[in-house]
Amino acid sequence: MQAQAKALLQQIKPTRAPRYDEDHGTSLWADAWLKLSRNRLALLGLLTITFMTVVAILTPWLAPYSYDAQDLNLGALPPSGAHWLGTDTLGRDLLTRIMYGGRVSLMVGFLATAVSLIIGVLWGTIAGYFGGRIDALMMRTVDVLYALPFMIFVILLMVVFGRNLVLLFLAIGAVEWLTMARIVRGQVTGLMKMEFIEAAISMGIPRSRIILRHLIPNVLGPVIVYTTLTIPQVMLLEAFLSFLGLGVQPPMSSWGLLMSTGVESMEEFPWLMIFPGLVLALTLFSLNFLGDGLRDALDPKSAKE
Amino acid sequence: MKPENLLELQDVRTHFPLTKGTLFPRLTGHVKAVDGVTLDLKRGEVLGLVGESGCGKSTLGRTIIKLIRATSGQISLSHEAQGGVQMIFQDPYSSLNPRMTVFDTLAEPMLVNGFATRATVAVKVAELMHTVGLAPRFMRKYPHEFSGGQRQRIAIARALALKPRILIADEPVSALDVSIQAQILNLLASLRKRLGLSIIFISHDLSVIRHLSDRVAVMYLGKIVELGSTAEIFAKPQHPYTRALLSAIPLPDPDLERNRERVILAGDAPSPINPPSGCAFHPRCAYATFQCSQRQPVLARQGTSETRVACINL
Repeated sequence: MQAQAKALLQQIKPTRAPRYDEDHGTSLWADAWLKLSRNRLALLGLLTITFMTVVAILTPWLAPYSYDAQDLNLGALPPSGAHWLGTDTLGRDLLTRIMYGGRVSLMVGFLATAVSLIIGVLWGTIAGYFGGRIDALMMRTVDVLYALPFMIFVILLMVVFGRNLVLLFLAIGAVEWLTMARIVRGQVTGLMKMEFIEAAISMGIPRSRIILRHLIPNVLGPVIVYTTLTIPQVMLLEAFLSFLGLGVQPPMSSWGLLMSTGVESMEEFPWLMIFPGLVLALTLFSLNFLGDGLRDALDPKSAKE
Repeated sequence: MKPENLLELQDVRTHFPLTKGTLFPRLTGHVKAVDGVTLDLKRGEVLGLVGESGCGKSTLGRTIIKLIRATSGQISLSHEAQGGVQMIFQDPYSSLNPRMTVFDTLAEPMLVNGFATRATVAVKVAELMHTVGLAPRFMRKYPHEFSGGQRQRIAIARALALKPRILIADEPVSALDVSIQAQILNLLASLRKRLGLSIIFISHDLSVIRHLSDRVAVMYLGKIVELGSTAEIFAKPQHPYTRALLSAIPLPDPDLERNRERVILAGDAPSPINPPSGCAFHPRCAYATFQCSQRQPVLARQGTSETRVACINL
């Protein structure tokens, strides 16, 4: 009887978590990372994005051909040993074109998102922190900009300044920050009612420090999630603009441009549209899975209290 | 300023403007959250501030620590209390930054205000944690890893970081489990003795006030209606509102409890936007006369008692 009880006790004896350290706390960030690393799809997304980014950075050294090297004798070949993804109608290697196109697409995605992130977070934090009339004025400005038709805005920019990659970043970033500003402003307005902000104010912590140490770290969760969801939006926008002929100019390329030229000859040479489409879709899926995983991992409701 | 006082309030008013529209606001009225409070805090005492929710006791506390600017009146600190007034907040789940460790939370005010240097701050944080009964080895942990009671200890430690002479405790136990409340109350009582603190203790819980306070101020709709020693007020409440409040305390003895006399207040507290004329309590008062709706009572001593009461019918 006693031996039995002992054996039972042995079984339910708590096993210590391997990384558990009594004196060092796990921050909410560490906790979120732990949750994210248990989400396979999100992790796969993160890996894919990392891989794409590394390839994009190293493309000039990795690419098998030059992006504008033509061999007119080899026009529109299907995939083969020499040209893994085939060649386009002008006899350029498709794999190379996709790799170079990825540089543009990813760069637009990341840079335009960074622009929107910086403007949006600052704008939203300032509006939420000061509240009252400043808040009203800043957020009504956002409303007005929201109402501007985006396409007309971009076409105007392109007409006035000519086609220009930097301008494209700016144009897209200038539109995407609006939602970011709204999200951040909502979060900050909520946080300002928290007692720890009151405590910081009453203890004479300087305003800049309150914003940097108390407000921004606490709005970063939703911001990170929204950022990962903005990148695919921006990349789609770029693809759309290139598709319309307003984006990247040949012989440079982007995934959107490759697809739009691929569509023209879709019936005879389907790989010209399928491969760029697949790569774009894979990237967008990965970013969306990562965004979803981050949202779950950073959700305060699932955080341990 | 009287020599025994650390803090004096003279006719303090905190009104919030009510507006319509955000971009071009129009003034539509005022919330008179604190409406003419004259009060003093003596050296080493605990002053209980009691009243219903919405009577302005929290606003008064926030006005004293200058989190909210007083609309009018004077708040003066004696010379020895210049170290400042600090506040313990109600909800330890919202008063600690979830992204900062205990160390960061306690070190930040000391570093910013020059109470410690990078070299000495760790020792000072450890001392603070020890003072409130937390093991210093937990200083690298985050708030979500502590219980409610432990969190409130961290919040108390933070309030002590700048060595204030006066603490304002805004319902510091009402968000805690009953079993934990006594521990935090005892901690506050022992801190007051060890550190010679003066405390303004805000609560709606009369038994807690009675346990801890030397004097009690009863607040109704932004005004003090009765102010006196705890013993006297609990033995012989004079203002009808105080009597109604005290009659709501249940008695431990079931026989006495059954025959306890209760004063039931009719209706809700009136709105501080549009307070009743004369004595703000008259619409709910069983003894109200016509005069009560005409004349504003002033806080004054009645007969031989030390307690001051604001009622014209005594």
